[in-house]
Amino acid sequence: MTAWDDDGPILEIENLSISFFTRAGEIPAVMDFSCTVRPGEAMGLVGESGCGKSTVALGVMQDLGVNGRIVSGSIRFKGRDLNEMSADELRRIRGREIAMIYQEPMASLNPAMRVGRQLMEVPMIHEGVSEKEARARALEVVADVKLPDPERILRSYPHQLSGGQQQRIVIAMALMAHPSLLILDEPTTALDVTVEAAVVELVKDLGKKYGTSMLFISHNLGLILETCDRICVMYSGEAVETGSIWDVFDRMRHPYTQALFRSIPLPGADKNARPLVAVPGNFPLPHERPPGCNFGPRCDYFVDGRCDGQEIPMVPVAGDDRHESRCVRVDEIDWDAPPEAGARHAATEPGDVVLRMDDLKKYYEVAANSLFGGGESKVIKANESISFEARESETLAIVGESGCGKSTFAKVLLGLETATDGEITLDNRSIGDVPIGRRDTKTVSDVQMVFQNPFDTLNPSMTVGRQIVRALEIFGVGETEAGRRARMLELLDLVKLPREFADRMPRQLSGGQKQRVGIARAFAGGARIVVADEPVSALDVSVQAAVTDLLMELQRTENTTLLFISHDLSIVRYLADRVAVMYLGHIVETGTTEQIFAPPYHPYTEALLSAVPVADTRVQKKSVVLEGDVPSAMDPPPGCPFQTRCRWKHKVPGNRCETELPPYRDLSDGHRSLCWLDDAELAAMEPVIRTAAE
Amino acid sequence: MEPLSWGEIVLRILGLLTPVWIGLVATIALSIAFKRRLGLYGKLFDSPIGMVGFGLVMFWVFTAIFGAMDLIVTHDALSQSASMKNEPPGTPYSKLIGDPDPDAYPFYLLGGDNLGRDVFSRVVDGAWIVIQIAPLATLFAFMVGITLGLPAAYYGGRLDTFLSFLANLILAFPVILLFYLLVTPEIVATGIPSYMAAVMFVFPILFATVLLNSRYHTRPSVRTPVLAAVIAVLGWLYLSLISERAGALEVLPSWLDLFDIPGGILVVFVSVVFVNSPTVFRIVRGIAMDIKTRDYVAAAQTRGEGAWYIMLWEILPNARGPLIVDFCLRVGYTTILLGTLGFFGLGLPPESPDWGSTINEGRKLLSIYLHPALPPALALLSLVLGLNLLADGLREESLRD
Ligand SMILES: Nc1ncnc2c1ncn2[C@@H]1O[C@H](COP(=O)(O)OP(=O)(O)O)[C@@H](O)[C@H]1O
Ligand code: SF4
Ligand code: SF4
Ligand SMILES: [Mg+2]
Repeated sequence: MTAWDDDGPILEIENLSISFFTRAGEIPAVMDFSCTVRPGEAMGLVGESGCGKSTVALGVMQDLGVNGRIVSGSIRFKGRDLNEMSADELRRIRGREIAMIYQEPMASLNPAMRVGRQLMEVPMIHEGVSEKEARARALEVVADVKLPDPERILRSYPHQLSGGQQQRIVIAMALMAHPSLLILDEPTTALDVTVEAAVVELVKDLGKKYGTSMLFISHNLGLILETCDRICVMYSGEAVETGSIWDVFDRMRHPYTQALFRSIPLPGADKNARPLVAVPGNFPLPHERPPGCNFGPRCDYFVDGRCDGQEIPMVPVAGDDRHESRCVRVDEIDWDAPPEAGARHAATEPGDVVLRMDDLKKYYEVAANSLFGGGESKVIKANESISFEARESETLAIVGESGCGKSTFAKVLLGLETATDGEITLDNRSIGDVPIGRRDTKTVSDVQMVFQNPFDTLNPSMTVGRQIVRALEIFGVGETEAGRRARMLELLDLVKLPREFADRMPRQLSGGQKQRVGIARAFAGGARIVVADEPVSALDVSVQAAVTDLLMELQRTENTTLLFISHDLSIVRYLADRVAVMYLGHIVETGTTEQIFAPPYHPYTEALLSAVPVADTRVQKKSVVLEGDVPSAMDPPPGCPFQTRCRWKHKVPGNRCETELPPYRDLSDGHRSLCWLDDAELAAMEPVIRTAAE
Repeated sequence: MEPLSWGEIVLRILGLLTPVWIGLVATIALSIAFKRRLGLYGKLFDSPIGMVGFGLVMFWVFTAIFGAMDLIVTHDALSQSASMKNEPPGTPYSKLIGDPDPDAYPFYLLGGDNLGRDVFSRVVDGAWIVIQIAPLATLFAFMVGITLGLPAAYYGGRLDTFLSFLANLILAFPVILLFYLLVTPEIVATGIPSYMAAVMFVFPILFATVLLNSRYHTRPSVRTPVLAAVIAVLGWLYLSLISERAGALEVLPSWLDLFDIPGGILVVFVSVVFVNSPTVFRIVRGIAMDIKTRDYVAAAQTRGEGAWYIMLWEILPNARGPLIVDFCLRVGYTTILLGTLGFFGLGLPPESPDWGSTINEGRKLLSIYLHPALPPALALLSLVLGLNLLADGLREESLRD
């Protein structure tokens, strides 16, 4: 065994191949993967879901389950091969020297044990320190992860904490043992953007403070840019490009990396003038990988015979430090050539107002004791005075974090709930208090919805065609069964799916394809208003652009009004004409996209803008980190809904923010904001996002 | 004639069961050949446990069917022979002492019972009774449980509270006591079992009607004739089922009454449905609670589908995995329940060859003669074991990928 010298890499993975052995045979999940993490370095691992990121992490932890096995290659931790260690040695290293943080915080917490005990156990078991010292250490790390009132936190059970607080506890737990390597597998995917921003900030600071090396796994390029020094891009089980963040982001040398960057909405992209370039095709399943380059079938630079002829090795990129690419044509491709311009479109003119919401309120009453009624009941104010208009062919984005009332508002609009107060008018018909059962077919087919989760949006027991035909039946389209079937096939054409899919079951489709079927179903009755609830957020990055594109195209041809619900401001900036920002049941700011993305901002919009990770090295963001969590809708703060987290509050004289609901003030041509700040303060606001000159 | 040795008995039984072996081999070979195209049923053949269970169950199904077709039984299950009382397995058959019958099968392979009936034939005939009643009674219990469980989960609120309370109430009722009550002549005379049957057997009609109507209401030209035909057929069956000549409910004139269910079997059905449906209700309710939060249910709501369409066409099909597993288990319980009922002499007529009654008959002389009680007991055991293994296999396979 060689002694580990302090300058050597912490983690050295060489030609690692991992397979899962299932009934269907061997599934190679990771092939020929190499990477090196040096002390204090943060390595980002990006790729779409299923590309093998988590498998690499589990391989390092030597925790591949019953059917997973390392087929070849080595994983050296501080110079020692983890593959050759005994179970005892591994146990000593796991948790103490290598700690892992998962996406779902509750997966790492014991729901039946107080947080304090769980934290204290770490040093007590690993280092055998006394209870008193363990408690002191626990207090210290809880303070380190910036949780308020550490004493109270230590006494609580995990379920009493919010998702963001739980994830901080998990991080605290991982840090208790001062590991030299921290593996984070999508640690913030389950969190809201502003909470995510705070957690990421924390991870970065702690990494610096303790000098911990990190392996940061994410599908989000923006997050990797904010946290890591180096990056490794994976595609279908292989590393395709690796290098320093700056090399890979600015001088990428692999067609997949390039395609990925062209398909995500960066500042400057525009749906009409500079549309995104979608990566054609689908991600290959492990047993359907093509010969030669895995990216071949989707690659613009594919050359017959060379790209599919032999296994493609990683080759160094000349002139860069430790920058490698798995592409045979790396030296021939003109990397600076601008992307082939996609079809440009003239901006569509919004038409008449089709939908108007006026002072809409939706309260839920929850009885304290549901069995015997009675008792006190609490009121959840899910929506408070929502007012806006939407015009024909317009895209109105509704932005906000989970629990802000986006979905409630959609439910009322669709008639699944009735409004407590206020008015919704669709073409001058009032529909706010008409439940869906009493709406006529026309109204029902006019307002339709596209759902978020592609794996949940289709009935798993019914063929794709049947589900669309059913929608046609209900909407009274077509006279005969044959007529409806023909129309269904046309709808499949419209969403660019092959007609054979009509007879497939949903499980035979990929996520993006399912989402297309969901879109076809929504447009089946000639919908005039389509509510799209985060329609692409659950999809892989490389297919998001294609599905977004499809929605835009349908909207253009059908003159549909699109209500696009999202928490992702990048995509909103790309496709929305107007934006409404929601917080705790209120619309806090509305305006055109330009108005929303430029100062003056509403203080919440400012924080939201700053929280969204942007995968562009030229962008400089002002950091506005929000403290705490969104208050519960059952117990909203008095005065301004945002006052518990607002950093501008002190600029308002008196304590008006805490006592009086601010007015919904018109700042300029329809740009309205729910805030007490006066014009002078607003004028002094600086832009959050600045793009350095090219 | 000499009595048969044990080896000869086994060989002869195996030989008599030839049609069963052929059926089993054919079914399993065909299923394995096409297993990749048969969905969950096909996957069963990847699980050794499931295959064993399936084999056991199908063994009894084929035995019952071929037995009823008179391909297996050697003697009439009810006819008695004075000379064969309590004779051990392998005894040569004679109607009267020393009087061999040249046309009949020459042996009582598994011996005779205390009335001189052929134990082997009774076990085979008993299988037919069990295989007819248990799945059918369980199916009725599922209809009731599903028809009530789905709305309880879907609507929630008071309806749910009320139905769940009712289910718990029934579950808290001692089962055996209930059976005794149901067969007490005074209670039978009041017609209570008939009325309960009248209520329970409405559910399949309700179920079928709602199922078809919710699906085809947008196309009246299809819906109306289909629905009319189904209601007519099921309605007629229903009325025939509940109306008995000179019974508590005489709704149909006798020339329209298709069949009469013997009172005993009716009681068995009523009891089985009554004790099983609350549990099915709870299972259905639990699964439906989960499925109703799925986006495809919300999608159906946003296109204005009716509640019953959503329950029966969007929720129920996706609950089928766990329900099929539970169905297998529950057929097993019902088989035991039938045995228990027979054992207490409840429900079926005393001379019935069903396994429970036969075990009870055999019990009386158990300390002297083991052979009349043992074969039906082993039969019951192996069928229930098979059903449980089958359920395990199905569960295991449906959880995978
Ligand atoms: N336990 C397992 N059994 C079989 N296949 C698996 C198992 N775990 C992961 N895989 C497969 O390995 C591949 C890589 O998965 P994973 O590492 O989870 O990807 P990522 O983390 O990038 O989303 C996928 O195709 C996945 O289906
Ligand atoms: S090897 Fe060929 S197919 Fe693969 S990325 Fe390079 S150019 Fe494209
Ligand atoms: S009203 Fe006050 S607390 Fe509310 S957003 Fe404006 S400055 Fe902040
Ligand atoms: Mg993963």
